[in-house]
Amino acid sequence: MSIAVEILSYRYGPGAGGIDGISLTIEPGEFCAVIGPSGCGKSTLLKLIAGFLEPASGTIHLAGEPMADRPPRARDLGVVFQNYALFPHMSAVDNVAYPLKLRGMAKAERRRLAGEALERAGLGGFGARLPAALSGGQQQRVALARALVFKPRALLLDEPLSALDAAHRAAMRDEIRAVQRANNIATLHVTHDQEEALSIADKVAVLRDGRLLQVATPAELYDRPADRFVAGFVGAANLFDGTVRGDRVETAIGLLACDTRNHADGARVTACFRPEAFKRESLGPNQFAGQVVRDRFLGSMRRLDFAVPGGTLLAETAWRGDVAALSLPPEAIRLIPSA
Amino acid sequence: MRWVMALYLTYLAAPIVLLLVGSFGESWTNTLLPTGMTARWYLEIWADGSFRRAFSTSLVVCAATCVASVLIAVPFAYAIHRAASRQVRAAVRLLYLLPVAAPPLVLGFGFILVFSSEDLPFLGASWLLIAGHVVLALPYLMQVLVADIRHLDLDTLEAAAESLGAGFLARFCHIVLPSLRHSLVAGVIMVAAFSIGEFQLTNLISGFLTRTYPVVLLQAFYGATGFACAGTMVLLVLAVLGATGSAVAGRVAAA
Repeated sequence: MSIAVEILSYRYGPGAGGIDGISLTIEPGEFCAVIGPSGCGKSTLLKLIAGFLEPASGTIHLAGEPMADRPPRARDLGVVFQNYALFPHMSAVDNVAYPLKLRGMAKAERRRLAGEALERAGLGGFGARLPAALSGGQQQRVALARALVFKPRALLLDEPLSALDAAHRAAMRDEIRAVQRANNIATLHVTHDQEEALSIADKVAVLRDGRLLQVATPAELYDRPADRFVAGFVGAANLFDGTVRGDRVETAIGLLACDTRNHADGARVTACFRPEAFKRESLGPNQFAGQVVRDRFLGSMRRLDFAVPGGTLLAETAWRGDVAALSLPPEAIRLIPSA
Repeated sequence: MRWVMALYLTYLAAPIVLLLVGSFGESWTNTLLPTGMTARWYLEIWADGSFRRAFSTSLVVCAATCVASVLIAVPFAYAIHRAASRQVRAAVRLLYLLPVAAPPLVLGFGFILVFSSEDLPFLGASWLLIAGHVVLALPYLMQVLVADIRHLDLDTLEAAAESLGAGFLARFCHIVLPSLRHSLVAGVIMVAAFSIGEFQLTNLISGFLTRTYPVVLLQAFYGATGFACAGTMVLLVLAVLGATGSAVAGRVAAA
């Protein structure tokens, strides 16, 4: 079952935050991550879909049904909250069984189903524990099991991993994805962590100041960002403003050879290239001589601030030795029209 | 640290121990400790109809005050939490704390003025006494509940319950009430202790047949020392009864 929002708008107050005319469709079984800096409206979007807020304009459809005038309890959505929102006075199994209780299922039956759901989440022996006696990751699994046990139409995840430490976060990411696949359910995942979004989602929506900037697959978002903000927000990027001069772009760090076919001569553009695109071999037209001013060792690679005349480049290399020159293949440079 | 605590506990316990000793003393005048040993003071209190009546009146008034306070305070505290604006919340908080600031005497005179009129001749009725106790005890219960609701993050829990399909009544019974059970029990114990010991207002507005134990006990202070001591010991028993009774009732209701 799908989630479809059309030109959805909401304002917290005059001049305050909210969202503006967002349209987004999540197909059955699709995993869509919504990212953006804090205050961009991503949580507002989730609250609107869940029904906790009433849109100023626009429509929300779940599985083709309009959701206007439907309270949250009648929307049949599984929601996982940032701090899990497990009921502290109920055991894990009672937490998971609660939505089934509300649906009038007999006690023995709902406890059996909840027990099975916990079993699948790897929490077979933990059913009788209160949430306070569970670790963050275990609470997360209980919350996910509770949100899915009643076979909701769609799954909404509100920064579900932000309360976990880094070590558990990556593992939990894969687990969420696996559970989502197994349930084949349309999922909206709100996060401020772009790396998490890229690694988990089928498609990613980038929000800024309440507006939708781009919706694309993770690879497309990274390789072909729609604008300067997306380029800078999704992954690390070198961004240099410049002017198109024939088949080159004039920037502060010199003339860059790149594909300028879609841009008029003299047009203002931003040249965007990723740090891992640099080569150590001196090949091709874009050669840079300079020196390393900052060297961060990250294990699988080094991230360098490389000072060249006119600016500083961010470059990544697996090379352990000295770096005095770098080259950049023309096809690694993407031009973004300046707004 | 330890000896400070020991000293304080001695200070707390000393009068109670003295009362206990005095209540079994034959006579106690101008000596450090009473002379003689007797149980006659307790027997006298037991034989005294007004004390027996006051004892049961106190228990009934206490129980009724607890029940009424809970019935009012829980929805009230929840409504304050739900109130839209900060200003409204602050104003209401000030309002419900007002009875603590005003001396019970003021309230007592008010009750006398209003309820001894020809149109509202209710002074002396036990329900009026209970109402008076509720007015004075409610702020204590409210304070505990409002503080607890604020730190519980009830909003998120309710949002979660709502997303799972719970309507208002289900949320209130399954989430709000159980979440508040600890503070509710603690608050009710305070209300019970308050109601059992309340003297100022009760002395002014209770009728001759609805006098609570502390009001009747005052009479004992004009008699023999042993009798007064025994009467006060009974009040202590009454207070313990009220507190444990309300605690047990609260736990049973919460479960």
